[in-house]
Amino acid sequence: MGWFSGSSSDSKTASDGGRIAPDRSSRQRCWEGRDKFFTCLDNNDILDAIKDDKQARRKCGKEVEEFEASCAKAWVKYFKEKRVMEFNRDKTIERIKQEDAAKVQDLKAQGWTPR
Amino acid sequence: MGQLKARNSTGPFSWKAALLFVITGAGMIVYFKVEKERLERKRIAEMSKGVGRPKVGGPFVLKDLDGREFTAEDLKGKYSFVYFGFTHCPDICPDELDKMAEIIDQVKEQTKGEDIFLPVFITCDPARDTPEVLREYLQEFHKGIVGLTGTYEQVKNVCKQYRVYFSTPRDVTPGEDYLVDHSIYFYLMDPENDFVECIGRQDTPESATKVIMEHINDWKREGKPLKTE
Repeated sequence: MGWFSGSSSDSKTASDGGRIAPDRSSRQRCWEGRDKFFTCLDNNDILDAIKDDKQARRKCGKEVEEFEASCAKAWVKYFKEKRVMEFNRDKTIERIKQEDAAKVQDLKAQGWTPR
Repeated sequence: MGQLKARNSTGPFSWKAALLFVITGAGMIVYFKVEKERLERKRIAEMSKGVGRPKVGGPFVLKDLDGREFTAEDLKGKYSFVYFGFTHCPDICPDELDKMAEIIDQVKEQTKGEDIFLPVFITCDPARDTPEVLREYLQEFHKGIVGLTGTYEQVKNVCKQYRVYFSTPRDVTPGEDYLVDHSIYFYLMDPENDFVECIGRQDTPESATKVIMEHINDWKREGKPLKTE
């Protein structure tokens, strides 16, 4: 993993002063680490790996280490936050769907027919 | 009565006439439908032309990967396909750039190799994305993508022109680890560099190519100029 190993000054410098980004295989490695870690979180009913960091490290110690070693710090934080955001988003969508269905049921009971 | 019957079988309303009538009718329905769709696209394409309209896109000065100046004028004459991103982008940009690569190949195939489609990647993160970094990054997706970068102010300006939210920190120390915001849309611009349509996350390479080809074909049908070199 070498240059891409989680410290804050982790990316190689290009000869013109830019910072070289992870290539396709590094990205793939990072995503695989993320997926393994998230699967472990799912199995242990942990949603927020930032808020419940201690618990996540206790239950998924090996996975979180691998994940953090194969992704840049900013990416690790981004993916952990995204997991919570997407969960809440899906929950909200589900709730709205159910409310809509309940409303339709209610209206049908009052003799309204959907067109 | 018999006379009437005879006339019915051979008269003006013979089966041939009926068939002709049906074919003509069906033809006209198809024609109107095609024409209606074309006019609808034309309306969308022309929405961003004229005065006093909210405009996406406008003048900018950046540099290409060989360090040459690249301005909005260089986009004219072809349909351009503009995407904003940055090389340290965790998951959305790489997916979208893979999609862009497929779109480039499909458009190339459907225009029979004509050089009238210009895919452009503009970085929102000029501090890290120098020409060398961009070149290496874009090569993994498609060699045909034109990478553009510039100074902080130049990039800030082009983001503003395209109404892209720009959150890149101004003073970053080299090697710092951060993410920036970027647009998740591709902007399709016509050969006069007017905004035509957005292609978003929900589009597949196929649906995007279809939209692009419709606009290219409309443009050709109207006999408007295109640069092919």
